[in-house]
Amino acid sequence: MTTDPRGDAPGRAIWRAFRRNRPAVIGLAVVLAFFVVALIGLVLTKGAHPILDPREVRLPDRLQGPFARPNRASVPAASLPRLGIYLFGTDELGRDVFARMLEGAFVSLSVGFVAVGLAVVIGIVVGGLAGYYGPTRLGLGRLRLLTVDTVVTGLIDVMLSFPTFFLILTVVAILKPSIWNIMIVIGLTSWEGTARFVRAEILSLREREFVQAAQAAGARGARMIGVHLVPNAVGPVLVSATLGVAGAILTESSLSFLGFGVPPPDATWGNILADGKRFIFDAPWLTLIPGTAILIVVLAFNLFGEGLREAFNPRLREG
Amino acid sequence: MLPFLARACWRKLWSLFLISIVSFLVIHLAPGAPSQIDPLNPRFTKEQLARYRTAFELDRPLYVQYGLFYTRLFTGQLRAFKDNQPVLPKILGRAWNSFPLFVVGTVLVWCFAFPLGITSAVRRDSGFDRITTVLVFALISIPGFYLSYLGIIFVVRTFQVDVIGMQTFGRDPTGFWPPVMDRTWHLVLPSLLGAAAGIAVLSRYVRSQMLEVISSDYTRTARAKGLPEDTVLYRHALRNGLLPFVTMLGLLIPGLIGGSVIFETIFAWPGIGRLGYEAILARDYPVVIALNFIAALLTVLGTLLSDVLYMLVDPRIRL
Repeated sequence: MTTDPRGDAPGRAIWRAFRRNRPAVIGLAVVLAFFVVALIGLVLTKGAHPILDPREVRLPDRLQGPFARPNRASVPAASLPRLGIYLFGTDELGRDVFARMLEGAFVSLSVGFVAVGLAVVIGIVVGGLAGYYGPTRLGLGRLRLLTVDTVVTGLIDVMLSFPTFFLILTVVAILKPSIWNIMIVIGLTSWEGTARFVRAEILSLREREFVQAAQAAGARGARMIGVHLVPNAVGPVLVSATLGVAGAILTESSLSFLGFGVPPPDATWGNILADGKRFIFDAPWLTLIPGTAILIVVLAFNLFGEGLREAFNPRLREG
Repeated sequence: MLPFLARACWRKLWSLFLISIVSFLVIHLAPGAPSQIDPLNPRFTKEQLARYRTAFELDRPLYVQYGLFYTRLFTGQLRAFKDNQPVLPKILGRAWNSFPLFVVGTVLVWCFAFPLGITSAVRRDSGFDRITTVLVFALISIPGFYLSYLGIIFVVRTFQVDVIGMQTFGRDPTGFWPPVMDRTWHLVLPSLLGAAAGIAVLSRYVRSQMLEVISSDYTRTARAKGLPEDTVLYRHALRNGLLPFVTMLGLLIPGLIGGSVIFETIFAWPGIGRLGYEAILARDYPVVIALNFIAALLTVLGTLLSDVLYMLVDPRIRL
């Protein structure tokens, strides 16, 4: 939607503004590195005989510190760590924390992405409908009291009134503990921001000439929303999605802390951190490693998202 | 003004009705009944289960339960499943415990966030601005319980004081100062940690609001008149920039009851968040629904109040 034959497309101006923002560029680099680590982690730790086994229990080697050498006398040769040392130490069952962190990287990333993906889809559909069909009246028979816009903004107001974390906690605690439930519940409770942005953006886009042109060419309904309006509202959606991934990773770790997180044996950074709290004095690395990892990745997503926001906002861009 | 107020109240009433339904259904539509909390208990026979369901009216149709629940809530007759205590006094008592945390936390947030945000905006892109930006985002990105554990370890090791709970258990200091100091030490850490994220978020809002005002036309006019920079910034820009924050006064109301689940769990603080967490664990439906509903009710009241305040302060807004 931003291809311009003369070469100075809005996308480039945004990229130029983004590049000047050093923290945001570093954030983007860390986010990309995190993707790579998560994919490598998926390859190395999945399957029946993974290269680095995050589930191998070695009772003689419980709570070994980082860089500790395995106890060759009592650990069977087949369970020795592939690297020769425990890079990040071991936990209370003697599992290799490095392998668990690698496995958890992908799980945490997918929690963030699935939850935010769901939220963004709901937000775009709801916001798009409210923006485009806003003044249309709904009702039964002759009684047409409510406009689409009233219904949607009312719904958003209601959702925003609830204390989000407590609501998530309530639902997750009642449902069976599973990674999918957590993703879905986080997604279902965080679409309001996206919906508002999309609605506001479409309300202003409706008045533009290119929309009138599309209308004259016969575009209606889904085609109008999906092809002409929503792609032009992509900026705010991208920003709230980036910040949303950061929020979802944090929410998952808070749920883990309260005992309602992703259930074992799946490792996430959140539940490694939450499990480590019992050994905080004896084995501080079980807290420090996942805690710092979460801090770095979430910080990177936040700085990246904030950089995008500033780059998309022309008023902040000129400086 | 009055017609606007009437319309706003009418809309809020509708939201409240929806909220009452959602808070009720969230619990009742999810699988998992209070009777299933301990399914392996052999003493829980089918007949017993049926008796409990009748005793707690869980076998009645949903709309009857809905009616009964809200009638009892508003007449003050609602009782908890767990200990058969009246729910409202229970919530009020716990809210009173959370109150000092809320007051100290709010004061800390406002005292730190405004100077930080204003200074960052005035010295945009300076070293100070960059460092506070990254620090502030680090505060948003760190899992709250991870930060708390680091804080607890630091304070306990450095100052040799107890910080868990509302006061040191089992030691009754005599005289005037020792108990006061004991209370203060227990209050400082949880409210500071609880305020950390608030400081970060609010100072970002203040910064972007100030930036917007500083780049506006009337600020340029004030500069063009040759006014000293301090007068431009603090008399012309700041006053307008702070207007939207008047609405924050309204949004403080939900904080009265929204004690943080995470921080109250870590610090064993018998406040409202902890009450909610215990109620969720015990499937104590009346308490959970009442907490969700009251929190949402206060949010609705808060937004109404902030709309009214905004209209009173800003003469440009007349709806």
